[in-house]
Amino acid sequence: MIESALAPQLAHPVLRLEGISKAYGPTRANQDLSFSVAAGEIVGLIGANGAGKSTLMRILCGITLPDAGRLEIGGTAIDPRHFSPERAREIGIRIVHQELSLCASLTVAENFYVEQPGQGGFGPAWRRHYERLAEASLAAIFPENGIHVRRPVAALSLPQRQMVEIARAGVDPKLRLLILDEPSSSLDMRRSRELQNFIAARAAAGVAVIFISHKLQEVAAVAKRVLVMRNGRLALDGETATITVPQMIAAMAGEVVQDLEQTQPQSGVTAGRVLAEADAPWARSPLALHAGEIIGLAGLEGSGQREFLRALQRAGAGSHSSAGITCRGSVSFVAGDRATEGVFPLWDVYENATIGRIAAGPLLAWLRPMAERSAAAPFLDAVRLPPERRASPILELSGGNQQKVLMARALIAAADILLLDDPTRGVDVAVKRDFYALIREAAEAGKLVIWYSSETIEFLECHRVLLFHEGMARRVLDAGTLSEDAIVSASFAEQDAGTPMKAAAKARPSPAGSGPLSRDTLFALVPFLTTALIFGVIAVLNHNAATLFGIDLLLSAAVPLVLVALGQMFVVGGSEIDLGIGAFAGLANVLSATFLVNQPLFGTVALLLALGAYAALGPLIQARGIPAIVVTLGASFVWAGVGYALQPTPGGSAPGWLSAASGFHLAAIPASLLAVMLGAILAASLNASRMGVVLRGFGANPRAVAQCGWSPLAASLLRYAIAGSFSLLAGLTMTAINTASDINAGSSYTLLSVAAVVIGGSALIGGRIAPLGVVCGALSLSLIGSLLGFLGVSTDYDAAVQGGLLIAILVLRAMEVRRA
Amino acid sequence: MSRPLAWLRAHRWSFSAIGILLLWAMLSLATARFSLSSLSGVASSASFLAVAAIGQMFAVATGGGNVDLSIPSVITLAAFLTMIVSGGSDAGLLAALPLVLSVGLATGAINALLILWLRIPAIIATLAVGYVLDTAALLANRRFTTFAVSPILRALASAHIAGVPMILLLAGALAACSAALIGRTSYGRTLMALGQNEVAASLAGAHAGRIITIAFMLSGALAAIDGALLSAHTGGAFLGMGRPYLLQSVGAVVVGGTLIFGGSATALGTLLGSVLLVLIVTTMQIAGLSGGVQDMVQGVVIITVLAAAGSGVSRRTA
Repeated sequence: MIESALAPQLAHPVLRLEGISKAYGPTRANQDLSFSVAAGEIVGLIGANGAGKSTLMRILCGITLPDAGRLEIGGTAIDPRHFSPERAREIGIRIVHQELSLCASLTVAENFYVEQPGQGGFGPAWRRHYERLAEASLAAIFPENGIHVRRPVAALSLPQRQMVEIARAGVDPKLRLLILDEPSSSLDMRRSRELQNFIAARAAAGVAVIFISHKLQEVAAVAKRVLVMRNGRLALDGETATITVPQMIAAMAGEVVQDLEQTQPQSGVTAGRVLAEADAPWARSPLALHAGEIIGLAGLEGSGQREFLRALQRAGAGSHSSAGITCRGSVSFVAGDRATEGVFPLWDVYENATIGRIAAGPLLAWLRPMAERSAAAPFLDAVRLPPERRASPILELSGGNQQKVLMARALIAAADILLLDDPTRGVDVAVKRDFYALIREAAEAGKLVIWYSSETIEFLECHRVLLFHEGMARRVLDAGTLSEDAIVSASFAEQDAGTPMKAAAKARPSPAGSGPLSRDTLFALVPFLTTALIFGVIAVLNHNAATLFGIDLLLSAAVPLVLVALGQMFVVGGSEIDLGIGAFAGLANVLSATFLVNQPLFGTVALLLALGAYAALGPLIQARGIPAIVVTLGASFVWAGVGYALQPTPGGSAPGWLSAASGFHLAAIPASLLAVMLGAILAASLNASRMGVVLRGFGANPRAVAQCGWSPLAASLLRYAIAGSFSLLAGLTMTAINTASDINAGSSYTLLSVAAVVIGGSALIGGRIAPLGVVCGALSLSLIGSLLGFLGVSTDYDAAVQGGLLIAILVLRAMEVRRA
Repeated sequence: MSRPLAWLRAHRWSFSAIGILLLWAMLSLATARFSLSSLSGVASSASFLAVAAIGQMFAVATGGGNVDLSIPSVITLAAFLTMIVSGGSDAGLLAALPLVLSVGLATGAINALLILWLRIPAIIATLAVGYVLDTAALLANRRFTTFAVSPILRALASAHIAGVPMILLLAGALAACSAALIGRTSYGRTLMALGQNEVAASLAGAHAGRIITIAFMLSGALAAIDGALLSAHTGGAFLGMGRPYLLQSVGAVVVGGTLIFGGSATALGTLLGSVLLVLIVTTMQIAGLSGGVQDMVQGVVIITVLAAAGSGVSRRTA
């Protein structure tokens, strides 16, 4: 069928598969797949969910090993044992993942580094190199994108993030095979066209492209050749010019399905009572939605359809008032994002279904499981869930069957309004047909169905379609005027009717980064100002504090906390919290004031062993998937217990070199100030280094960083080793300052270190940390103790003031987030 | 997987039951000193732990790695308030108990407010609230004069009925009620749903705020009651008396088979987990190990149980 045109190129295909198979238990994800992709060829890959596309892609980029078969890249066979994501990248295979794989807290340039390390030389110039690389790559595909490569990805809009993702993979000079998994889902028309042009240009330059999409029209437009997968096998391989969309659907489903275009909407429905009303800001003019209607929410993706659905849910659940929305009935919700918004993974099918009735009911209703089960049965019948699957844990069901259970959950609630959030996403055609029938039945039974879909063709099932644009329903299309073309052209008409450069403007111009004294900058200055303010007050109260001697005295007490807080900061950078870090500093204090004095060698070994045990917590937490908080809480008892067993009462002495160090001055700068400065420089340079970037990346988006080939175990080992080292240094300074040890001396540092990290401007989740801020946070907390002393406040109140300060800062931060 | 093993997996409390039997058998064989009277001592200590741990279990069940770290501070403060306000009389107890209970409930409500409304991670919120309560206990310590205990409270905390400690009966009844609340009421079912997947539960119509607030208030109230009973049992209140319950309450919950990430909780398991932990500590005391080593072993046991119960993947497949 295609030999004539492509035969010369196929002689040297970029990719050649022969008999690739992969099974997961009884499930054959890939069976005997054989095909080739030539240089310069653009191939569309389609298939229902579970057809084996993702498995195939994982095999191609080295994440999954096939059970059998041959893989050839550029004519050379790949040894499966030595194939990995890194190796795949080396030989020029790049993938743009469907779920965005950027780290939000890293800058655009740092995201380029995480995915393609090894460039930019050894010195600090690596950063500049990646900034130039990111800028050039983005400009090559999407001109005038308005993306600052030094800004964190979190400050970018969704389309901009997708552009970064595409540019990161697409511009690689070594690129030979580019795999795009649903790349255009959030791009507008202009950017989609730029992407198509870029793909065409890369293909013309000899790159092979595999384009995966559920949007069949788009596949037909982009690709010359289409591969259809079904049940792990290749069901169809042909040129798009000769295959119609219905033929593609038929090949995916394995049977000739009724053409969706032909299912006509049931016109002339008699409108029931008004169940929901929408007004500004959701609709231009008041809009009444009736019982018995199926209402579609259309528009380009991300135009406010899902937000509208959520607002309806909140209004119907009665827990929040939603401006512009009135619900006159109860609501139930069917989530399309099953894993994160739908299933309860520990439960079986029955429990997952019956919760629909239980959760919305009174809190102290008495449950009778057997009765609940028999009451659920008719609903599970209605969604056509096979009876033999009903006792299974929900996660053992296929995606389509899970979705049916979620539908049953919504029906069991017997609500008046059924809200559907793209419920047919990623389910196969047969399940889709079941859903269309169910939705029709629900409407005929007098429910109001409100349906958001990402597939335009599904709106043909609706009585009315609300066309969303920029968060508002701009137009209403009635059954008479509904057709796929009409909806698509109306969507784009709305888009064009707005300002032409809407997408660029939508890129959140973020007043934050603009002026020199913007809100972000002000917030970053808070810890520094706080420290200066507290110190100023102390200096006014006691003039001696402003002398070098006074500073040394004040800082000496602060040094251990500064160091512990810097250690805690690296743990927080990984979205974890260490509750044992203070006790560990106490243990280091005890070890250094006992063994290190009399037996320096043994003392050093003991300290290193303790550090090793501390660092091992990281991989343990990572490998077993257990919460760091509880593990480190347990560990804190181990550290304190060891220290207490070694030295039941405070005592010991400092090694001579250590107490000498505490009296050291460099050009009149006292040791304490030097220690704070050194700690800050060390932490800041670790954090800004390439290693620090990867560690923060793991805190923000661990899976994505792991897919780039970095080891999560090594990262967590490193993270806890760094934290432990800082804590160990803190223990040594405690010995130097106090010339004695007390196992309880460090315990108060644990909460204080978390408080210092938070005050310093780090986020407790998401891998955003600020070393200099943390130093100031720790100094402030330590100085507050001195300040209270100068003010004559009893030390009894120290803990309460520090705890209260932590809460106050978090409250302020939370209110700031709410306002934004 | 063989059927007995599958049964064990489905009833995670059975692991701690087996642990108790093994340790008990070992102790009885190894030492004559482990008599029936020391068994009663173990039962009594375990019951005090279980009351606090069952509260902790509700907090843990809310999911997301939530833990209530204010429990030790509530226990200490409640003990001081009980002693000071009751003044050792039953009449005083009438004033003390409502006060102590409302301190516990208020602490739980504040914790929940910080966690839900301000989105502060549970451990930070509860730890910071605990610090504030510690200061209150410090101040209460200054005004502490009497060591007299109300007779009713002493009876509840220390009396025996037919050789069985009263407090064990109380803890058993509490575990039974909690088991019913978790397994047989819509509150319990919805709490487990929230613990597994908060978004999904909210979309199914659950009032997340109300349910999580109740869980933390239960935790605060049980810690407060525990503190009052402990003050009667030990015949006084002292700073740091709640401290062992920081680790042990979490430990009893996870050793008992409740999932640390929430969504599945067992009250019976928590009761058994409390007994097992206390039995371990007793064993170490009989063996003459120092307090430091006892702490160390407890820490290691809890980390080991967590590591063994962990899923082996980072985060659940939710």
